[in-house]
Amino acid sequence: MKKLKLKKHSILPGFGLSLGFTTFYISLLILLPLSMIFINTASMSWQDFWTTVTEPRVMASYRLSFGASFAAASINVVFGVLIAWVLVRYSFPGKRLIDGLVDLPFALPTAVAGIALTTLYAETGWVGQFLPFRVAFTPLGITIALTFIGLPFVVRMVQPVLQSFEKETEEVSAILGATRLQTFRKVILPEIFPAALTGFALAFARALGEYGSVVFIAGNMPMRTEITPLLILTKLEQYDYAGATAIAAVMLVISFVLLLLINGLQWWTNKRIAH
Amino acid sequence: MSIQINDVSKSFGSFKVLEDISIDIPTGELVALLGPSGSGKTSLLRIISGLEEADQGAILFNGEDMTHIQTTERKVGFVFQHYALFKHMTVFENVAYGLRVRPRKERLSKVKIKEKVEELLGLVKLESLAGRYPSQLSGGQRQRVALARALAVEPKVLLLDEPFGALDAKVRKDLRRWLRRLHDEFHITSIFVTHDQEEALDVADRIVVMNDGKIQQIGTPEEVYDHPNSPFVYDFLGNVNLFHGRLENGKLVNGHAEIEASTAKESEGREAIAYVRPHDVVIERERVSKEAVPAEIVHIHVVGRTVHVELKRKDVDEFLEAELPKEQYRKLALEHGQSVFIRPGQLKVFIPEDFSI
Repeated sequence: MKKLKLKKHSILPGFGLSLGFTTFYISLLILLPLSMIFINTASMSWQDFWTTVTEPRVMASYRLSFGASFAAASINVVFGVLIAWVLVRYSFPGKRLIDGLVDLPFALPTAVAGIALTTLYAETGWVGQFLPFRVAFTPLGITIALTFIGLPFVVRMVQPVLQSFEKETEEVSAILGATRLQTFRKVILPEIFPAALTGFALAFARALGEYGSVVFIAGNMPMRTEITPLLILTKLEQYDYAGATAIAAVMLVISFVLLLLINGLQWWTNKRIAH
Repeated sequence: MSIQINDVSKSFGSFKVLEDISIDIPTGELVALLGPSGSGKTSLLRIISGLEEADQGAILFNGEDMTHIQTTERKVGFVFQHYALFKHMTVFENVAYGLRVRPRKERLSKVKIKEKVEELLGLVKLESLAGRYPSQLSGGQRQRVALARALAVEPKVLLLDEPFGALDAKVRKDLRRWLRRLHDEFHITSIFVTHDQEEALDVADRIVVMNDGKIQQIGTPEEVYDHPNSPFVYDFLGNVNLFHGRLENGKLVNGHAEIEASTAKESEGREAIAYVRPHDVVIERERVSKEAVPAEIVHIHVVGRTVHVELKRKDVDEFLEAELPKEQYRKLALEHGQSVFIRPGQLKVFIPEDFSI
């Protein structure tokens, strides 16, 4: 099947060359560094490996990292879609400014974001002092930091889809008697779903690997607010390279499986729309 | 359901899209809104459907004021030029949409919806494609899905915005015949927008010719084609030859020709233009009347049973177009480069000052 597709006639030449380069580039940039993780880990015995990666402190960090990243990506999907909607559908003074602000979390050094958020949400901070519960140095604080750094993904993925959305499709829905909510749920949402899902996957992946902005607001208490990337770094600082890469390998495999699942879901929804 | 449009005006900023439009459409009529792009016909259709609001004026359905009723409540069917199908739904789901979004109390049972959708798909001859997605259909099929979807909610009024504009000639012709039959069967009051005069003449009971946001003429296809009330309508509905000249003694003097023109006395001496349709241009081998003008055949092309002849006048430097049946063309034995005489069979004289084009 695949073979047949490869030979499909195309007016653009250079298939062999471009595919070859892509393979080389991906290998050099992604596969080679990643394989080092597994090679390094391989220096451990199975026994050592298993005890290292299932240590209670490490297990707690997995839960925190994946849980907080998932929560942050979910929050970003909801509000990212909302922001994209507002930016596409309405015109108001300062629209361009807000549009520009959306990208700021990408540009800001993550450590700066972390320090700023910690100052705001600390118990004596501008925001923290008004809240009846603690934010800084709790999983909630970590989620806030991860939400901050993941914001642009969903907005930037959903925006172009909304922009190219035919207004007539919505109008037809209204003419056929659908309420606004029905139109949104049955007509608009299915169209932006694949893009929102991609945004979610990107925000989630980014949050998993995030270090700089989290370490400040997390407080890094073992078993409670220690994220996996921090544990890896701690191990590196103790010259336990094999232990660090072992945890990294586990995290990598889990992330890869999750992203693969999201991609599968996306492929499935895309297949239904664009043939 | 009858539709009344009373004094509707609309402008975008300083640009007037519609100016004092009033049309009465009795129940069951099929009306074409005909005009060039930018004439406001689509805006009018959108105002009738409630997708847009008029600045002033009223829309009445069966005498009931609909001006401030929401689109959702107007119960109209609307078909867009580019189909506006729901891409992520199958043909079946598209057609069922209007039935499925009804409030629970009014909604038909699942079985009833299925029956109804299948009946509609039968009507548009797409039963076998119920499970397909819009992207797997041809343009003509997509438009039929859009029509079935619009009909599913049993609208009392059907509005079509250039419904066949994006289709190729053959499919367009088939679909408009089909629309005509559908209309004759169900008698839904229908308004369709088009810039294609042939389509309007072919399908509509009445034609509303629009230009620059104003109504130029309302009438049956025969009325607007045979008795246009303005140069614009004359020009817009079919090809036309112009004879520029001056009115003298009730005749339009133009080059060597004197054309009989029945106009009022006070127009004496004024500039005027005679409009002649190509099929009203008579070609003769000999000069038999004073109206005849010498001309030379520059080009002949045969399209099916009619022959188009392009002529160059010898007295003034103007080109003319004539159309005649093949039999007559053979009888006259016309040839390229031949000298002949032409005269207008039927014509209409307009005095430019009265009408601005």
